[in-house]
Amino acid sequence: MLHLAAALALATTAVEPRVVWSDASVTLLGAPSPDGRFLSYVEPGSGALSVYDVAGGNKRALVTRPAGSNEFAYFSTVSPDSRQIAFAWFNDEGFYDLRVVSVEGGSPRVLYRNEEAGFVQPCAWTPDGASILTLFFRKDNISQIALVPARGGPMKVLRSLHWVYPKRMDLAPDGRFIVYDSFAGAASGDRTIFLLAADGSKEVKLVARPGSHLFPLWTPDGKHVVYTSDSGGTMDAWMLDIADGKPQGEPRVVRRNLGRALPLGITRDWNYYYGVRSGASDVFVTTLDSPAADARRVTLRFPERNSMPAWSPDGRRLAYLSRRGTENFGEQARVIVVREIDRQEEREVAVKLAHIERVRWSGDGRLVVSGSISKGRSGLYLVDPQSSAMRPLIEEAGGPYRGFEGVMPAGGRRIYYLRGEGELRARDLESGEEMTLARGASLSHLALSPDGKTLACVAGPDSILLTPVEGGERKRLPFAEATELDWGKVLIAGKGSELWRLDPEGGPPRLLPSPGNRERGFSQHPDGKRIALTAGKEKSEIRVLRLR
Amino acid sequence: MRRLAVAVALATLILGAAEKKLVVPAGLDAYLPVPDSNPLTAGKVELGRKLFFDKRLSRDQSVSCATCHDPAIAFTDRRKTAAGVNGREGPRRVPRIANRVYGKSFFWDGRAGSLEEQVLQPIANPKEMDLDVAEAASRVGLDVPALEQALASYVRTILAGDSPYDRYLAGDAGALTARQREGLRLFRGKAGCTSCHLGPNLTDEAFHNTGVGWPADPGRYQVTKVETDRGAFKTPGLREAARTPPYMHDGSLATLEDVVEFYSKGGQGNPYLDPEIRKLDLTAAEKAALVAFLEALNGKVRDGM
Ligand code: HEC
Ligand code: HEC
Repeated sequence: MLHLAAALALATTAVEPRVVWSDASVTLLGAPSPDGRFLSYVEPGSGALSVYDVAGGNKRALVTRPAGSNEFAYFSTVSPDSRQIAFAWFNDEGFYDLRVVSVEGGSPRVLYRNEEAGFVQPCAWTPDGASILTLFFRKDNISQIALVPARGGPMKVLRSLHWVYPKRMDLAPDGRFIVYDSFAGAASGDRTIFLLAADGSKEVKLVARPGSHLFPLWTPDGKHVVYTSDSGGTMDAWMLDIADGKPQGEPRVVRRNLGRALPLGITRDWNYYYGVRSGASDVFVTTLDSPAADARRVTLRFPERNSMPAWSPDGRRLAYLSRRGTENFGEQARVIVVREIDRQEEREVAVKLAHIERVRWSGDGRLVVSGSISKGRSGLYLVDPQSSAMRPLIEEAGGPYRGFEGVMPAGGRRIYYLRGEGELRARDLESGEEMTLARGASLSHLALSPDGKTLACVAGPDSILLTPVEGGERKRLPFAEATELDWGKVLIAGKGSELWRLDPEGGPPRLLPSPGNRERGFSQHPDGKRIALTAGKEKSEIRVLRLR
Repeated sequence: MRRLAVAVALATLILGAAEKKLVVPAGLDAYLPVPDSNPLTAGKVELGRKLFFDKRLSRDQSVSCATCHDPAIAFTDRRKTAAGVNGREGPRRVPRIANRVYGKSFFWDGRAGSLEEQVLQPIANPKEMDLDVAEAASRVGLDVPALEQALASYVRTILAGDSPYDRYLAGDAGALTARQREGLRLFRGKAGCTSCHLGPNLTDEAFHNTGVGWPADPGRYQVTKVETDRGAFKTPGLREAARTPPYMHDGSLATLEDVVEFYSKGGQGNPYLDPEIRKLDLTAAEKAALVAFLEALNGKVRDGM
């Protein structure tokens, strides 16, 4: 009788995932402990490596940053005995190192610290706890699958991959085989799952069907690999049987439509933990006077995937970024969409950029795009919104992948841009001549006055710098912690979800009404009344699917 | 406390029943892509090594693989283009053949898809060893598949690594001089070399048109018959390049300085020039730094088991 009840319970839980954690602290960077008792995660705000007790809901910070620093924890993975956590730590030198800390707390040990491989993602431990299977991203744009000894010592690189960073890898419970995702073929943008022997003796492609197959994880018996795939039209969880490092039969769906899911790990009792994001932001047009009441969504085909709007100089078109593909870390697949505001018309601009950070309009109606092309070159690109033809305005090999912030007035002869964190420059596009207009500790977020005479940028934590483009006296407006700037009819600074009107003559800043859930990215319409903005609150929660 | 993981360690692989170990030099992947149809065994590798030096594999018994691929200089020679039996000149430069186990295609134009497919071709090539392959096999008392498998296995064990650059990547900042570090910065940055020369073997294993030798040699076009592949050649790995001049598929550049100058000028213009090749306008100091960096890629070459 009891037996039957248990079996029934199993059958129902096998289909419906259950939410195990849903509050403002949820981040999708951690992993469940193998014993299923806790989740490692990064506390938003403090950046502390923390643990969340699944049964009791308690949270505990394990590693916090020193006061006044910008350090934070990132990916983590829990040891087989659930007593140690290997984690990535963004350090005081501006790259990630690999550390280990006891679940009881205490000071962490640094296992690997090397700027040459400055992005690390610990993914799994060997069954004996002796090594940590870690993904490295190197300065020359390759990623490496390596084993790092948990007690210190040189790492062993098993496999190098060019121009690709696997979403996830995992080690079989017996420690013999690694699974990871990478491009299916030389000319393919789709990814699939590979199996690599942990001693380096062989590699096999596990999934040969079309679609993008990602985030492979081993089941506790080492007989199956569970991964996500979009081949059924939604993001589904699939399972493939493996015997002695070889695929057996065809993969099958375990659960359809996980949502915007990001798999985190499988515990020893077959609980599949994954994060789900929902309620993402979108682009709205509203009025400056009454933004909450007047807001209407302007995106048509791909709701809840849009951000960073920019009005064209004639006010008839709105360009914004739209996310495509699956949930992602780091590089996001984004496209540029141009909406004709008076018609139900939305068009994708096909630009060949690996990463698009931001789009604006030039004074004469072309698009100025910050981002990077696939081969490690980045900068500012000029794109024709009709033909999608693209040419670099400022380009640099090995520059920041986000490219540079830049504004381009009408006439097409000049571009103003921010180089690195410290220089505001003007380039004459005909002669190639460059001039430094301002230098400062940390300049960011550039905007140009509508008359084309003054540039505004955020200068450090407490001021806005106004720089006349033809030289002359610069002016500082005191204003703390601006995170955005836009100069239309008036000069507006964003600060978190707030919008502030600044007076270029030095009068006091004034808080504007704004919807409380505003996110980064807004643009004033040339009529001075309307504003396009990004709003909506992205929310994450952790769910568990019983696989057995 | 800053702790550097200095990986001078040698990854080891246990192969075959004989328990012989193939030592993979520092800086290279432990995973060696070896086809299931020809697993590495100590026996095949040792036989392959003997065959590699065996002149009976050429028509007049004057030339072995090692005649052109000299182990003392990273398995290449010093000539502009190859010389086979009777001093017959081939059209292309002898490539260094280290780390080919990681290769995806073989020859400058990639016409061979595997080392098995590749290793018998020099024997039959009238400008190289000029001997019927079946006869070559019988001269050394083997059948053709055995000859092929042994040679391919041996070539897979020729590995170059353990250079100052590898020690630097593993965390030993002092392994490169200041000038070499500057060269590395340029190699990845302003000069854009890592668009094609990247990873442990400093090659993307792909084909690019740099304009070298244009339009004399159709290069990759000969294999694909795609017009835009005209003049494209496989990116060579750069390990041990500094000590093995001359350079490029036609040996047309005598020194590393010439190579860097060639790139600085934006290669040789032609309709299919790779978009990653463009005028760099490097200063004299920058050119010297790049050359210094390339010298840091000289390390150790090992072969056999
Ligand atoms: C006469 C000189 C000569 C001899 C002898 C010779 N080779 Fe070569 N080898 C070359 C040249 C030249 C190339 C490049 C040819 C081309 O790309 O068209 C080459 C290419 C190769 C490659 C391809 C390397 C790569 O990266 O693509 C391998 C492997 C190789 N040879 C192995 C051998 C073996 C094994 C033998 C003996 C059976 C041999 N060679 C004999 C001149 C020679
Ligand atoms: C677009 C891809 C590409 C870029 C970028 C590139 N290379 Fe090359 N490199 C090649 C190819 C392809 C060859 C062989 C060309 C040939 O022989 O026709 C080559 C050959 C070489 C060689 C000669 C190696 C030999 O064995 O003959 C050296 C040295 C070299 N490159 C260094 C550099 C340096 C330094 C840079 C940066 C300034 C650079 N490369 C940028 C593709 C590239």
